[in-house]
Amino acid sequence: MIHPVLVRKYANQSLLLWSSCGLALFSFAWVRVWVVSLLDMGQFRTILEQFRDFERFAPISFDALFTHTGRVAMTFDEPIVILCTVVWCISRGSDVVSGELGRGTLEMLLAQAISRTTLLLSHAFVSIGGLALLALLLWAGMACGIANTTITETVPAPVVRIPFTMIEVPLTMGGPIEETFAMSAEVDWRTFATGTFSLFAFGFFLLGLSTMFSSLDRYRWRTVGAVVSIYVVQLVIFGLGKSTERLDWLRGWSFFNCYRPQKQIARVVNEGPWAPWSLTGADSESWFGPLYYPLVLLVGGLVFYVIAIVVFRRRDLPAPL
Amino acid sequence: MIPLPNIDSSLTHAVRTIDLTKHYRDFAALVDLNLQIPAGQVFGLLGPNGAGKTTFLRTLLGFIFPTGGRAEVMGLDPVKQSVEVRRNVSYLPGDARLPREMRGSSVLRFFAEIQAYGDLERSLDVARRLELDLKRFVGFMSTGMRQKLALAAVLGSRAPLLILDEPTANLDPTVRSNVLEMVMEARDEKRTVIFSSHVLSEIEDVCDNVAFLKRGRLVHEQSLRDLKQRHRIVANWPPAEMPVPQVPDSLREIVQDVTVHRDRIIIDTSGDLAQLLPWLESLSLSQMRIEAFGLRAMYDSIHRREDAETPTS
Repeated sequence: MIHPVLVRKYANQSLLLWSSCGLALFSFAWVRVWVVSLLDMGQFRTILEQFRDFERFAPISFDALFTHTGRVAMTFDEPIVILCTVVWCISRGSDVVSGELGRGTLEMLLAQAISRTTLLLSHAFVSIGGLALLALLLWAGMACGIANTTITETVPAPVVRIPFTMIEVPLTMGGPIEETFAMSAEVDWRTFATGTFSLFAFGFFLLGLSTMFSSLDRYRWRTVGAVVSIYVVQLVIFGLGKSTERLDWLRGWSFFNCYRPQKQIARVVNEGPWAPWSLTGADSESWFGPLYYPLVLLVGGLVFYVIAIVVFRRRDLPAPL
Repeated sequence: MIPLPNIDSSLTHAVRTIDLTKHYRDFAALVDLNLQIPAGQVFGLLGPNGAGKTTFLRTLLGFIFPTGGRAEVMGLDPVKQSVEVRRNVSYLPGDARLPREMRGSSVLRFFAEIQAYGDLERSLDVARRLELDLKRFVGFMSTGMRQKLALAAVLGSRAPLLILDEPTANLDPTVRSNVLEMVMEARDEKRTVIFSSHVLSEIEDVCDNVAFLKRGRLVHEQSLRDLKQRHRIVANWPPAEMPVPQVPDSLREIVQDVTVHRDRIIIDTSGDLAQLLPWLESLSLSQMRIEAFGLRAMYDSIHRREDAETPTS
């Protein structure tokens, strides 16, 4: 079902894009973890408290962010991470049929003894494999950052409060103490496995969507336009759903609602490492168990791939323009 | 050296179509096409733009699905067994485009690996004969160079059926003759070649049989060997008011057509001209000349006839 020569061709074809995205994700993740160490937790809390009114727009409650793990987990919602993932998924997904048709190279390719399904699956193998490796690179960048970063925290001097007077009296005469420790002492890199999986599921959904549109179309620019339009509309629906309680129901109509890496990581912190891998255990913020959400994205992507194969097998291939 | 594939000697026809039809909504690209292409021959396809030649070839490869009738390629159904069909076919599209990010040598290696009968040594040999620089990236090649590269990939294969859609487009005269030579070499290897071209002289040079398509229909089939026995006699016909002369019954098999245009008479013949000479003498023709009835004359006469038969709106 997968042709090794095609896999090699597609891998070579996408190597430059993959390397660029991979480098960006790995280095960004590392730098992002290091930046977390630069800002003192107390300062961070002070800054974030200013924005309490906008908490509902955040992917997770502010309280969950007042830990180093929570702050590192924000990496999964950073625009650069999303951008690199989206660029890889849309550019590779849109290329498979309409891209090759537009360049006129599909005819010579399909003149060989390979079925259309084999062509699509070989392409999918490279694209999905590339996506998985990108997600792993992001995780690896975070792990490297965690292993190589030290944190200096200011520990306020211990005080005692005099009952009924609200007066605090320091117990020592010295100033605040600065404590330096390795980030790995407080943050476990394995905690972010679930976030990595969420990012992969998010990308897989987009890959399937763009592959499906590509198999229907003959112009890549139109395929990219259609997928980006759906992405933006879904983003707007999700944003509206978060803006007010009255429109909360809208969130269920957006696939962004299923991308919740920070919530998954918070579950690891609060309930243990296996908590996000369960289909049961809905809480006040979720209608279903935590694994349900990435699974919806994976099943959605799979359905799009099946549609793409069915459509591609049945359609007439137009001659190159 | 990879041996040539065992070509099934019991297969009399490489391609056979029965009422093959392809409609795009109201537009008929192919209409009830019944065609048999004998195995081991070079078979020409002729027709004006939009005649359905490329549609026919793409249907044989399973790129497009017929809306009626059926086809057989090497005894296989291109709709249900398209992969098996393409295993036996090496196809050069009319507008062959190759991955621009690859070098010429990589393109040949890629196709040699992916083709069922691919042979890199043969492809490299074809490239050498076509004087192609394989170090260049496809993106930096001229149109002619890209055509040569595609030809090297296609002609290097040992597939029993070659389908070439306008193979000499964008090539200079020397390379054209090299390509035609390679087509004849393929026939010598008992492979079948379907050769679609607008260049009548090329078809005349290499093909054993030719089919004329127009508006998706097969309008004529011609053996090139028979064509060489056909002649056209052109002479002055001064008395404009005189009727077209009657052909004697004994010569009806030889004289195919007699037409008068203004002051000229055109007589198309097929067979031994010696029997015709007494009748020609009796017509008192002047400035008579006898031409071999080439493909050009046949092409023109078919199109004149078809145009006359097609009602104008």
